[in-house]
Amino acid sequence: MSSYVEECRREWKRLGVPDLLAEEMATELEADLAEAAAEGVAAAEILGESDPRRFAAAWASERGLVSEEPSQANSRKRLWILLAVGLVVLGLLLGIGGVVAFAKPKVSMKTFNGIKVNIHTVPAPNFVGLFTCEARTTARHMRLPIRTIPNAALHNRRCNTVVVSQTPGPGTFVRRNTPPIHLTGPVVTLRVSGRYSPEARSALRRLHRRWRRAQR
Amino acid sequence: MRRMASESRRSQMLRGVLDLCLLAVVVDEPAYGYEMTRRLRDRGLSTVGEGSIYPLLGRLEREGLVATHREASDGGPPRKYYSASPSGRRALSEGVRAWRDVRGEVDSILATIEAEVTG
Repeated sequence: MSSYVEECRREWKRLGVPDLLAEEMATELEADLAEAAAEGVAAAEILGESDPRRFAAAWASERGLVSEEPSQANSRKRLWILLAVGLVVLGLLLGIGGVVAFAKPKVSMKTFNGIKVNIHTVPAPNFVGLFTCEARTTARHMRLPIRTIPNAALHNRRCNTVVVSQTPGPGTFVRRNTPPIHLTGPVVTLRVSGRYSPEARSALRRLHRRWRRAQR
Repeated sequence: MRRMASESRRSQMLRGVLDLCLLAVVVDEPAYGYEMTRRLRDRGLSTVGEGSIYPLLGRLEREGLVATHREASDGGPPRKYYSASPSGRRALSEGVRAWRDVRGEVDSILATIEAEVTG
């Protein structure tokens, strides 16, 4: 009969009956069964139920120690879990939607050699009117890969050429490299004058200053 | 088959008054679970086949119709004793009255049937 009582204990634990009360019932039952056995009385007269789990559940339920059927409790628990998961998913979707809707369009992700990196885009500055060496410095500060036509002008330390046109135009969003990985080749092409001309330089510088003022 | 039906009817009828019987055996003197079974048996009522008295005792306890206390036993663990509480006594009194009314009404009908069958 001890196995019967043990089964009852397990069932009470499963039903969430407080340990103290479960132990009280188990002790009461054990003592009664022992006394009945000593008098030669069949356990069936005491228990009335051959299934210990049903017996234990009925006793605990009648004492008011189990608020509801375990299956109902489980289904309610499942419902709460589903609701919570649903809310979390909804929150995530709304968050992602908000980020997508309000994020600056200048940032995107790109996989490069298996590594995801941010690729920023910035509006191209106005290079026209700058000396090639100035354009090169500006581009370096902005991390914009540039190329020049003719190509040799880029490496001309004497800085005696000036940018006469650029592709794409000023204000166009262009990608820039994000360290430590340099992703792209030149994104801005600068056409530079073959030879320095004071008049052309002055005219282009004036244009450049006007553009800068307009930008402010 | 007929015997099974008879036992089922007895079980059903007893189920409605077993709580009164339990209150009745502890109204004068407290008793622990098995002792109550013994008192019922001594008065001619076997609870075999009627289910255990423990769930019923649990309900009586929950409804405050019985009071409980623990008392040391000889050599064993302390026993839980049940006794009829004041509201239990009232419930027993009302229940007995209702039972007698029902029994009288049913008897008045069944006695006629019995006379006809016997006659």
